[in-house]
Amino acid sequence: MAETLAESKTETRLDTPWNVVVHNDPVNLMSYVTMVFQKVFGYSREKAQTHMLEVHYRGRSIVWSGVRERAEFYVQQLHGYLLLATLEKPE
Amino acid sequence: MLIRRLNDDSIEFADIEPVEAELLRQVSVIGEAHGDAGAEARLFSAPAAPSETQFLKDWEEYVRPELRHLFLAARKVVEEDVSTLSAKAGRFSRMVFPLSHGEAWLSALNQARLILAAKFDFADAELALHEVPKTLTKRGLVLLQINFYAAIQERVIEALQGEDDGYDAVDVG
Repeated sequence: MAETLAESKTETRLDTPWNVVVHNDPVNLMSYVTMVFQKVFGYSREKAQTHMLEVHYRGRSIVWSGVRERAEFYVQQLHGYLLLATLEKPE
Repeated sequence: MLIRRLNDDSIEFADIEPVEAELLRQVSVIGEAHGDAGAEARLFSAPAAPSETQFLKDWEEYVRPELRHLFLAARKVVEEDVSTLSAKAGRFSRMVFPLSHGEAWLSALNQARLILAAKFDFADAELALHEVPKTLTKRGLVLLQINFYAAIQERVIEALQGEDDGYDAVDVG
């Protein structure tokens, strides 16, 4: 009797993380943007300031990455604070 | 005008000049009456690339009305606080509102600044300048108004973060 070898292949697909990006705008105050990052993400003041400065000097900052549902929630929160925020798929 | 956090978890605006009182009254009015495509686009900016069609559709249907309601609620809080402006003897007035209204103030002031900046199409460089314009055109006065609201925002943020020691008032303008 011929032996049959069954080959099984397991593929694990990890959910691609999504980015929450905040873009620079000349109206929102630096202190305000820092405060919003602390409130929305629970970041320390130092971390919030780092992101704020990245937005200010580089024009944008990825402020959070993770599962899409959560990213959508954060984008909505940031829009509630009138920041320019977008949901983006990493390239 | 002086802005300070009081010990009883409230924020006081004191020594408000008549012109400052008028600018405070305008905070909620500017937000209600914008009707300007540029201002609308800035208040309700796109949350994703156009390729995210379903997400954008859902956003328009569910999130945008919520945001509109949120912004309106903040302006209402400010409108009610400003309606309590009381004139003291002489020309100054004063108001006190709970610290819990602070975020509504930040939102309403931000809405007003964003709307004015969009309506008058200020360039980034103009907004970055905090100088008194050489000639007081309407545009120059609007820039002063935007900066006046920014100064109030800074003080309210400090009050919310507890940086004020409770009694040292700071002169806004």
